[in-house]
Amino acid sequence: MVWDLGERLARTLDLEALVQNLARAKGVTRCEINGDLWSEDSLTSLKDDLSAGHIDRILWVGRFSPDRMRILADELHTAGLNPFLHHWLDLEEQGVLLDGTDRVIMNRKALSLLEMALARTRLLEPLEPLEVPATDAMLIIGAGVAGIHTAASLAELGKRVYLVEKASGVGGKVALLSRFYPRLCDPHCGLQHALDKLEASPLVEFHTLATVKSLDGSPGNFEARIEQRPRYVNERHCNGCGECVAVCPVEVPSAPEAPQELLPQAAAWQKITALLQPGRKAIHPAYPMAFPRAYVIDREHCPAGCRECEKACPAQAIKLDQTSEEKVLRVGAVLVTTGWDPYPLGRVAEFGYGHHPRMISNLEMEKLLGAEVSGPSSPGFSLQDLNAVGFIQCVGSRDERHQKYCSSVCCSATLKQALAFKEQAPAATCYVFFMDLRATGFNEDLYRRARDLGVIFIRERPTEVKVDTEGGNLSIRVNDPILGRPILVDLDLLVLAGGMAPAAGTPELGQVLNLPQNQYGFFESHHQCHPEDGQRTGIYVGGCAREPMNVSRAIESAHLAAMKALKFLEGRVLIDPTYPLVDKTRCDQCKRCVEECPFGSFGFDEKGFPTPDLARCRQCGICMGVCPLGVISLRHHTIKQEAVQVEAINTAFMGEGEPVILAFLCENDAYLAARSAVHLGLPVPPNVIFIKVPCAGAVNNALVADALSFGIDGVLIAGCQDDQCHYVRGSQLVKKRRGDLGEKLRTMMIEPERVRFESLGIRQSQKYVRLLQTHIEDLKAMGPNPFKI
Amino acid sequence: MAKDLPKDLKDVPTEVIDTDLLIVGGGNAGCFAAIEAKKLNPDLRVTIMEKAHISRSGATAAGMDAINTYIPKGKTPEDLVRWSRSQVGGGPIREDLALSNAQNLNEAVEDLEKWGLPILRDEEGNAKYRGGWDISIHGEQLKPIMAEKAMAMGAEVYNRIAATALLMDGEKCVGAMGFGVRDGKFYVFRAKATIVSTGGACGLYKSYTSDATSSHHQTWMNPFNVGSGYAIGIRQGAEMTSLEQRWVATRTKDFCGPVDTVSVGYKSLITNARGERILQKHYAHLGGDKAPRYIRANAPMEEWLAGRGPTYVDTTHLTSEEVKDLKTDYLNERPSFVLFLAARGQDITKEPIEIYGSDPYVVGGHTQSGYWVDIERMTTIPGLFAAGETAGGNPNKFVGGCAAEGKLATRGAVKYMATVTLPELDTQQVEREKERVFTPLLRGPEFDGVSPMEMEERMQRLMDEYAGGTSQFYRTNEERLDYALKHLKILQDQVKYLYAKDLHDLMSAHEVVDRLEVAEVLVHHLKFRKETRWQGWQTRSDYPEMDPKLDCFVESRRNRETGEIETFTRPYEQIVPGDRYKP
Amino acid sequence: MPPRVDREKCDGCKAEEEPLCQQICPGDLMDLGANKKAYCRAPRDCWDCMSCTKVCPVGAIETRVPYQLGYHVAKLIPMMGTNTITWTCIDINGKVERFRYKNRTT
Repeated sequence: MVWDLGERLARTLDLEALVQNLARAKGVTRCEINGDLWSEDSLTSLKDDLSAGHIDRILWVGRFSPDRMRILADELHTAGLNPFLHHWLDLEEQGVLLDGTDRVIMNRKALSLLEMALARTRLLEPLEPLEVPATDAMLIIGAGVAGIHTAASLAELGKRVYLVEKASGVGGKVALLSRFYPRLCDPHCGLQHALDKLEASPLVEFHTLATVKSLDGSPGNFEARIEQRPRYVNERHCNGCGECVAVCPVEVPSAPEAPQELLPQAAAWQKITALLQPGRKAIHPAYPMAFPRAYVIDREHCPAGCRECEKACPAQAIKLDQTSEEKVLRVGAVLVTTGWDPYPLGRVAEFGYGHHPRMISNLEMEKLLGAEVSGPSSPGFSLQDLNAVGFIQCVGSRDERHQKYCSSVCCSATLKQALAFKEQAPAATCYVFFMDLRATGFNEDLYRRARDLGVIFIRERPTEVKVDTEGGNLSIRVNDPILGRPILVDLDLLVLAGGMAPAAGTPELGQVLNLPQNQYGFFESHHQCHPEDGQRTGIYVGGCAREPMNVSRAIESAHLAAMKALKFLEGRVLIDPTYPLVDKTRCDQCKRCVEECPFGSFGFDEKGFPTPDLARCRQCGICMGVCPLGVISLRHHTIKQEAVQVEAINTAFMGEGEPVILAFLCENDAYLAARSAVHLGLPVPPNVIFIKVPCAGAVNNALVADALSFGIDGVLIAGCQDDQCHYVRGSQLVKKRRGDLGEKLRTMMIEPERVRFESLGIRQSQKYVRLLQTHIEDLKAMGPNPFKI
Repeated sequence: MAKDLPKDLKDVPTEVIDTDLLIVGGGNAGCFAAIEAKKLNPDLRVTIMEKAHISRSGATAAGMDAINTYIPKGKTPEDLVRWSRSQVGGGPIREDLALSNAQNLNEAVEDLEKWGLPILRDEEGNAKYRGGWDISIHGEQLKPIMAEKAMAMGAEVYNRIAATALLMDGEKCVGAMGFGVRDGKFYVFRAKATIVSTGGACGLYKSYTSDATSSHHQTWMNPFNVGSGYAIGIRQGAEMTSLEQRWVATRTKDFCGPVDTVSVGYKSLITNARGERILQKHYAHLGGDKAPRYIRANAPMEEWLAGRGPTYVDTTHLTSEEVKDLKTDYLNERPSFVLFLAARGQDITKEPIEIYGSDPYVVGGHTQSGYWVDIERMTTIPGLFAAGETAGGNPNKFVGGCAAEGKLATRGAVKYMATVTLPELDTQQVEREKERVFTPLLRGPEFDGVSPMEMEERMQRLMDEYAGGTSQFYRTNEERLDYALKHLKILQDQVKYLYAKDLHDLMSAHEVVDRLEVAEVLVHHLKFRKETRWQGWQTRSDYPEMDPKLDCFVESRRNRETGEIETFTRPYEQIVPGDRYKP
Repeated sequence: MPPRVDREKCDGCKAEEEPLCQQICPGDLMDLGANKKAYCRAPRDCWDCMSCTKVCPVGAIETRVPYQLGYHVAKLIPMMGTNTITWTCIDINGKVERFRYKNRTT
């Protein structure tokens, strides 16, 4: 069915003649130009023909937008035509209406395109969408602020949630903070409200002291095995009364003995360390937050045979002989919110962290700031005792030797800490030594308030901290840029603002989930339009597990991931029917598809044949591209369907002396650039005919071999730039394959440069035109394809 | 990859597989047999036991450029039988087998076309005949197409298992045994009916280019078809027929590639050093250029012997179009022949293609050597059917005929198995065979013995010099044949010294043992026929004339008690009327 | 005719149990060596059916004619398309011939 709106095609092409030619082709029972395609009569006539069995598939020629295609497909579906039995050919986008090109050539080209389209249409097959039953539970690994808030939202939507947390209590790092910025409120407030909701909900299960040991199955139907370490306390019976603590004979020491060189400051050492590492009994509430309510025993500290807590417990909640247990959770999707850990500042050797009680990290400062709220009743140390506190920013961050990146929150965190400190000790002096102050967005306000309170900002990084071993004081030598000379600053307390490192256990969890990490050790993410998405379908990463970020962003990020995960939490997973199929009679299990799938979607059946996990598969077609025997094809986009198109090209359509190029354009970027080029009226050479592919990596070398063997002079494969490939590594793989093929072509005395791979961004239409022009010039110099036999 | 080889027989695992139809040898006939079985009954369990990998095993490994028999419009199966009969000098042939084969021939070829085999057709859609009966195809994918169809129909394929013996229940065959060439396991297949389709026997004789360098296997036929299928039946007393009608053919010299492609396909006549058209000059009374196959095969050798060599097929008249087509044909069947010409820088329009005879083979798809079978293709061992080149009595089967044979054998086998219940597994028989098979591999490092290669070389030279090989221009006589028998017996006795260093070597060892079995029977056949009926294929220098009293089939059978080979005759029956010597 | 394996190009088919050439050889002649590259264990036994040459996904295998039969050096290179095969033949004098035909109709 040819729809020539505005008679654009008829003006340049001998449309009538082309249509008559097509009408004589094999299998064509009806062929016409229809100006009135959308009318009742027209559609009825098609439906009648379908019902009568005169036609069973349709080739449409014209400019059809996606919604028009959908309307026609839906309409004809009512008459029984499967929506996959349509082929849509836009002649214009292939450049048949270009100004100034010879009419004869354009007609030949149009005829080729029509025959190509016809060849594919003959091979189309009806397809039905697939539905796979699934579960409706979400696994959240890491019950920190992001995990907890997301669990609450999911429970509200009626989804089941399993929260797996390796510590004995939830809350993560946020539970250790004294205040949040910008409102300087107590982080336990928001957490507790969320936890109350979660505790009441029948849809939510907490598993603390638990880690994920393995994840099998596929999106919609994962099976996670978790190892539950023993709490030694029955969670259901313990109500947190604390009577066990009173009788516990073991005091786990808080402060270690002061190191020899710090003996003069032993007193200071004792006090501060006591605050930073409060002592506790072997049996104690969950940590960092006392949620779950049940206490936990650090069994390694128990003296042999001691069962005091067991005797004392009124609820008989003590289980001293508990062992690890394995649990199996069936979930539809997994959200990783395992957060972060502070960068070990001891590695920043020039400061000497760890050797001086008055040098602490920014996370430890939270403990000091919160001491009157959460610390021991008589700390023996007060912030008011301090006269001068200094903060050094970017310790170990933005540093070639340590962390190359910026953790984005430390500046705002320091400002918050300075404000909180000044609140408690208004008379004290606060110094902030920085390189750049990155309190972004509305957090600029924190900076202004700090300035107003008299915090002194010095834009220079100290390189040396001098320690007075007698008096126990610290002093910093720094070049003040405004004064233009070095100054010496004496401090009572120095806070090193260190950055966020990937949480401990990230590589191990990465192994279990098969989640790759980026160069900084955080779980990989797409980062741009799909930040929650990585290469493992059904497994999402949110919050600082992905990248250092502040709390509100972490909550948002985890929620975004949960939203994307919803499609796997519906009790069924809908699979697009255009998935890959393996022809097992010809497959010889070389496993190249398994290796190259960027999403790890292949498993094996009982005979060892590769089998794609349809829920995981993203239908990029890279497997189809790499298979040396061409036995994998995406349904509705098969190698055969492409091969017959290649074969249908009239290799002489440009006439003597002009080369013909076949281009495979990836539909994500390159195709759009090519289409725009025509749209914008750029001088696109008429020598090229293109075929759209899902990814450059989906182009099988056999098709390139076909093209060359049929006499096509040049082949262009265009895809996204390497690091921007929509399917991660399609472009990289094409380069490797092109290298192999190029070698072979060379031995066959064919110029390898006939086959090219180029990167094309979505708007690089000018580049498209230029590279075609270059390719054509080069092909002219090489002469026609020697296989034009 | 070096596998951990067993040190002791008890380290070798045994796997027993039960099936309905067992096909030993997944070649042309074997794949067709499997496909036919599944067509007749999709629920039938069909198992193929294959020494290599069915996608590229057997004679059609590299492809084929023609299907040599396909009955054209206007001709009948009887016409084909007449032609076939004349090609072997008037027979005797099994006309019943030939006729039933011809009746199923075209359907088999058309199946292949349906499955994707390109048959060259003209504008009207007619197949292009290059001779009277042979059509041109682009058969580079012939084997993969057949193999895929067999797999798609649901046949269970066991690749890389070398068959070493039949599984017997008294006189009946109830399956086969063998070992895994890659996994080193011992396999026992229990089947209600068994079809043996392992092709012919190559490498009984030394090929004339075989020496210390890389050209030991310059043979026309697939050198990995060694006649194991014949051997396993011979050992159980199966009757074999016509082994003395060896297949010797005109071949391109040195490379040993097909010549019919050129001589028939491109009308290139056989000439000698003087440019004489040999067939017309010396064999006009036997039909000249249309003389029976063995005349054409032997003619170049006679020229060489008379001092008028080298001999050629005259390609100097070919146009460049024809040369291209000719080479395309070769690329479909023996691609390396094109490489061979390129490696000599040979322009065949200036230097014609040199030809010579080949080493002799036992191959029932071209001549009629093989198992004696009834009309259902069952051998004299109940439960054992033979198909393709392994079946005897019907020459000139080629690709199409072997495919038809596969179908016919399956039909026979399926009918037979309706009455069969499998007995208990005879574990003693299994253990005995397992020991025989693995013994060469379990010798231990101190063993002082003979390698398979050494024994193969000895056998090949013995046969060449004494049983009518190429160096003897195919001639032999009673005394030489007796000598051959004597030394074959010694070799068979010396099998107890064979050692194998890995599984591949073990396969080679058994290939030698199987070849010795076939060679012995072959020599008996050559001894019995005291005449020269098919010069070249069977030339007795002490009986150079044909003896009308031997216008019958020569048969053989190993006596299971004494172990001796008995030879006897069976009468010829003409079914298709007409002059036997004319097509 | 011995097949020659280019050890640079050969990746042992990712050193899985059986590289493709070993899978297909009708004579069981190809093997994976200790260096995880393919090699022919008995070049004298090769029948030059060229199945290994055709199947190698990286084009690492070349078939050669033994010097007993032909001179140095001629090349015959198959290129497998979907339903078509092309051959490039280069003789010892450098003359190039090309062939192309369909090997399947479906």
